[in-house]
Amino acid sequence: MSAAPARRRKLAVVIGSGGVKCAAALGLRQVLDREGIPIDMFVGCSGGSIYAATAALGFSPDEAREAITRLWTREVTSQRRRRALLELLLPRTFGFGEGFGMRDDRLVLQRLRDGFGQRTFADARTTLYVAATDFRTGEQVVLSEGRIVDAVRASIAIPFVLAPWRVGGRLLVDGFLSDPLPVNIAIREGADVILAMGFESPMQSRLTSPVRFIFQVSTIMTNNLLRSRFAFTSHAHHSEVIGVMPEFRDRIGLFATERMPRIIEDGARATEAHLPYIRRLMSDGAG
Amino acid sequence: METAVEARGRATVVRITGSVDGTTADQLTAVFTHELAAGHTHLVAALDGVDYTSSAGLRVLLGAVKEARSAGGDVRLAAPRKDVLKVLELAGFTGILKVYGDLESAVAGFGA
Repeated sequence: MSAAPARRRKLAVVIGSGGVKCAAALGLRQVLDREGIPIDMFVGCSGGSIYAATAALGFSPDEAREAITRLWTREVTSQRRRRALLELLLPRTFGFGEGFGMRDDRLVLQRLRDGFGQRTFADARTTLYVAATDFRTGEQVVLSEGRIVDAVRASIAIPFVLAPWRVGGRLLVDGFLSDPLPVNIAIREGADVILAMGFESPMQSRLTSPVRFIFQVSTIMTNNLLRSRFAFTSHAHHSEVIGVMPEFRDRIGLFATERMPRIIEDGARATEAHLPYIRRLMSDGAG
Repeated sequence: METAVEARGRATVVRITGSVDGTTADQLTAVFTHELAAGHTHLVAALDGVDYTSSAGLRVLLGAVKEARSAGGDVRLAAPRKDVLKVLELAGFTGILKVYGDLESAVAGFGA
């Protein structure tokens, strides 16, 4: 009796939170495209959700870079919401609430609509999952249906900066709060080989303002959350979780889109380091 | 991947060369299982020759650590390269295992 043919391993790419650093995922895609290695699933979180969504919708890396350069600019979060300061200073008088955000989100919404239009998850050529966080319970929420714009808007709802976003009756905030690199979603959805591209946040060089102080606290907590979740999922998975963590030569701001070419190179280089093993895994089959 | 085993004082050193990954995991499991079955529970994995590690490979080490500790021993890691150390850190190994910069220190860590 002849043996059953080996099943091809299912490959997922998970792109974690990291602002413009997530452009490294374009470098990862370039390497996999060049090698003819098919991707079966994208998972995105926060800034990574934008890259995961463009990839899943079939944007080429060049098209995605162009679209994201238009979308992700400093301008989108520099739109002050005048009333926000009053809400902070006199919360009872001005009605501070769960929908608080320091910035006006109309421009970011417009840019997301320009980029994704009315496309839904059903329009994705490759399976797509977007991670957000339930603001009331803290639970991770996995979005896999409805409009891409809503999913991405929820996933990038940076606390204090952008207001939470309501999807399907739940008030959602940035996915990084529940897991900055949600490998668990790819595991649960049946991936074998998981390429997890994550980004640790840099520490503040000087703690000279309350904002920097808060950023430092947030960075410590987020980096530790990333590591602990990554460690757990790495040990729990039946197959491979390959952490593709680009090393950047210097500090990269949240909106430094002018640095994208270098970031993409760094992402490609980080992927190349794992390529011999990825090739072996994908040619072996899962048996 | 290649392995070589040698006794060093109280410790048994498993020298590993090459890639510790899903395609070599069974081979490495067999080496640790053999040593533990022989009562060699004070193990040092010498990693200076390891040029690649993956989650499936590291799970082998984790399994060996659990067995060794259950038997009153331990598995300690020696001389990982920079890239390998980074993977060990991300996977949480440096928080639960003793990692030494060189083989001599790892062996000495088990006492005379």
